[in-house]
Amino acid sequence: MTSAPAVDDIVKSEYEHGFTTEIDSDTLPPGLDEDVVRAISKRKGEPEFMTEWRLRAYRHWLTMREPEWAAVNYPKIDFQAISYFSAPKRPEDGPKSLDEVDPALLETYEKLGIPIEEQKALAGIAVDAVFDSVSVATTFRKSLAEAGVIFCSISEAVHEYPDLVKQYLGSVVPHTDNYYACLNAAVFSDGTFVYVPKGVRCPMELSTYFRINARNTGQFERTLIVAEAGSYVSYLEGCTAPQRDENQLHAAVVELIAMEDAEIKYSTVQNWYPGDAEGRGGIYNFVTKRGDCRGARSKISWTQVETGSAITWKYPSCLLRGDDSVGEFYSVAVTKGRQQADTGTKMIHIGKNTRSTIVSKGISAGQGEQTYRGLVRISQRAEGARNHTQCDSLLIGDRCTANTVPYIEVKHPSAKMEHEATTSKISDDQLFYCRSRGLTEEDAVSMIVNGFCKEVFNELPMEFAVEAQKLLSISLEGAVG
Amino acid sequence: MSDAAFTAFAGWLSESGEGSRPDWLESQRLLARERLADLGVPDRKTEAWRYTSLKGLMEQGFGRTGETMAALQPDDLEEVLVPGLDAQRILLVNGRYLPELSGQGDLPAGVRIGGLRELLASEPDRLREHLNAVAETDAQPLFAALNTAGLDDGLVLWVGRGVVLERPIELVHLSVGLDEPRVAQPRHLVVLEDGAQATLIERYVSLGDSIYCTNTVLELSLGRDALLRHDRIQMESANAFHISGLYLTQGADSRYLGVNIGLGASWSRTDLNCRFQGEHAECDLQGLYVAGDGQLMDYHLDVQHTQPNCNSREIFKGILHGHGRAVFDGRVFVAREAQKTDAAMSNRNLLLSESAEVDTKPQLEINADDVKCSHGTTVGQIEPEMLFYLRSRGIGASLARRMLCLGFAEEIIQRLSAEALRDHVSERVGRRLESAPMN
Repeated sequence: MTSAPAVDDIVKSEYEHGFTTEIDSDTLPPGLDEDVVRAISKRKGEPEFMTEWRLRAYRHWLTMREPEWAAVNYPKIDFQAISYFSAPKRPEDGPKSLDEVDPALLETYEKLGIPIEEQKALAGIAVDAVFDSVSVATTFRKSLAEAGVIFCSISEAVHEYPDLVKQYLGSVVPHTDNYYACLNAAVFSDGTFVYVPKGVRCPMELSTYFRINARNTGQFERTLIVAEAGSYVSYLEGCTAPQRDENQLHAAVVELIAMEDAEIKYSTVQNWYPGDAEGRGGIYNFVTKRGDCRGARSKISWTQVETGSAITWKYPSCLLRGDDSVGEFYSVAVTKGRQQADTGTKMIHIGKNTRSTIVSKGISAGQGEQTYRGLVRISQRAEGARNHTQCDSLLIGDRCTANTVPYIEVKHPSAKMEHEATTSKISDDQLFYCRSRGLTEEDAVSMIVNGFCKEVFNELPMEFAVEAQKLLSISLEGAVG
Repeated sequence: MSDAAFTAFAGWLSESGEGSRPDWLESQRLLARERLADLGVPDRKTEAWRYTSLKGLMEQGFGRTGETMAALQPDDLEEVLVPGLDAQRILLVNGRYLPELSGQGDLPAGVRIGGLRELLASEPDRLREHLNAVAETDAQPLFAALNTAGLDDGLVLWVGRGVVLERPIELVHLSVGLDEPRVAQPRHLVVLEDGAQATLIERYVSLGDSIYCTNTVLELSLGRDALLRHDRIQMESANAFHISGLYLTQGADSRYLGVNIGLGASWSRTDLNCRFQGEHAECDLQGLYVAGDGQLMDYHLDVQHTQPNCNSREIFKGILHGHGRAVFDGRVFVAREAQKTDAAMSNRNLLLSESAEVDTKPQLEINADDVKCSHGTTVGQIEPEMLFYLRSRGIGASLARRMLCLGFAEEIIQRLSAEALRDHVSERVGRRLESAPMN
């Protein structure tokens, strides 16, 4: 097989979204100790309880060790070489409207193809854009406020809704959970807070674009979404990052809480800089995402399309505590070049008649290394629990790796649990069939791969699905040959 | 678990120096002893022991199994034999080969069967090439290294080039209770040269229900185009600890058909390791475990596809009742050069009670693109529809359940090599299910 020269050009071309915007960052010097934690809290003008909360996490972090069990290799991270706070410079009051936002920032968004104004008009999406660590623009807040939905940065939430923050922050992912979640609790910069009151169906898809910008700045996002009884919210997360030489650590925490009959849909398209052909300079994406189905009949659904980052370490999970609650995980992960991904999910069945579905599609090309690591635990109380897991791997080229490591723990006899996994490549027959109908090899591969991922793409909101398909095609171009 | 606890557990090792052995073997034993010290005792954070605690085992005050009892009479064997099984029997009692109670028979030329100790004395050079070569000393996990450190006696089966051994060889490992809990460490070596064929039935049984520990290692080397059918049946005493490690290497075009039945012991751990050394070889690993009150059965499979064009099948089924627990950890590894590998692993479990538990972890590690690999796992209970079908035909609920469980188990039992053996295992499984409360 040979690949078209045009495709080679695309593959060898520099990362399209790789540019750095020159703005003054109000950055803390590298290093981490209690004073840095205090300084972060102070700069954000946080109340006392948050400072204490951060310090407690920091002290615990000191007692923890970096996890080594994941099937990923990377040079040891020097946590003292990282700068833990970077905020775009702005007047004390902060921008009141888009006009007040640093024009360089807006330009960056435009380069990324996210014209905030247009997007909100065309797609009906409210965008809470995060530039490095502090929210700079939030749109559609008014119409959301009319519905009673709170959609703001977590820093704002700390000031304006301290009771809600106190009640829910860290209640799903406690600071003791794992090394990176603990670090995040100590130094998190900003993130998104969503609160959907009882019985409210959020009138639009909520979306945040993340963007890592200042050099050597770890990005420690914190997202908290609370859906009260009978409410519904769909949240979209998508990201790109500028090109740089040094590896960047990204240790985010996402917490979802669904009360009785509530539903949260969380979709991610992740396309951070994966590093160059030798794997230099990509993002380290060590994320803790967990949803808590607290109420009966609640539902949390994770959908992710992971094509970027040098290393991905991510297990969006569901705690199915309420009776009849539902957890879902749909994932497409692509590793190529020297990318490494250790990703999967955890479904913890605690309530009666809880159900979970896992569909994981891994595509490994080039020298990509990919591991699906998942846990399905059916506890002694979880009568009638049901799980179906499907893990498929597609290998492209003979230098890549695909691992499947499912953990299944069943303690109730009425549980029904099925796990299936397959590994395959694009068969010559499939290719021949498409080519005999006049498709180029690239198109054929793209079509087959998109078919392979269809179950997951179907779960994405429409705009995202289109973007994801495009992303996947671009990611894999030149990988076949 | 502290290393001190392990030293206490394996204290008897230092007394296991009696008998004369070739120098090369002494140095292997020493190497293994050093390795033991290096390895340390795994705890629950060690991935291979994630679901299985060594605490109960380590807390037993074990002594080394001594000389076999002279008091054992042929009549005593009656209760542990398989009725109607035609096979050449090799008897080991508490880890020691007992020629006088082993069956005698005419063997084709090129076949050697006997005790390891015996053959080490008469033909050491023949053994040197294979002993600790299939399971390399410096890669052995804890219990295999422990076995090597005390390596003393066991079965040797050697089938020469092109020889077809028609009559099955039955290895019976009998544990007889002694005044104190003992550890037996039989070490077996089976070599099939190119084109050889044989059937090996390996059984672990006991007289009485005393506390003891069997830590066995079997090294198995299949030459080019060799074929081995291998039945392993573990029916240790209800209070026993059973640890077993199988190390298999397969030459080109060879076939291995293994069936593992686990019914006995209160705590058991089985490691099955297979490595291909030539192309177009086939490995078939099947298993059935039935665990009830007070029983833990832990199976670890590691199939290494290091050669192109090999096939492997791993099919394990489990029935858990009462407070029974099972662990299944299967790993299929496909090396970069092992193109055209075809591997399929499945683990299916029936959970019959609220207190039963199964932890299963079927893993694939694929480094080649032109392969067909899959795994599947299910955990469930008896389908109400099936039960209804039988009950609508006038069959009582508990009998119907038992029939369905046995039906589930039969798929594996029917793979056993001899009819007498199939009947024997069926009957035992049936008896177990009868006594198990079905709710």
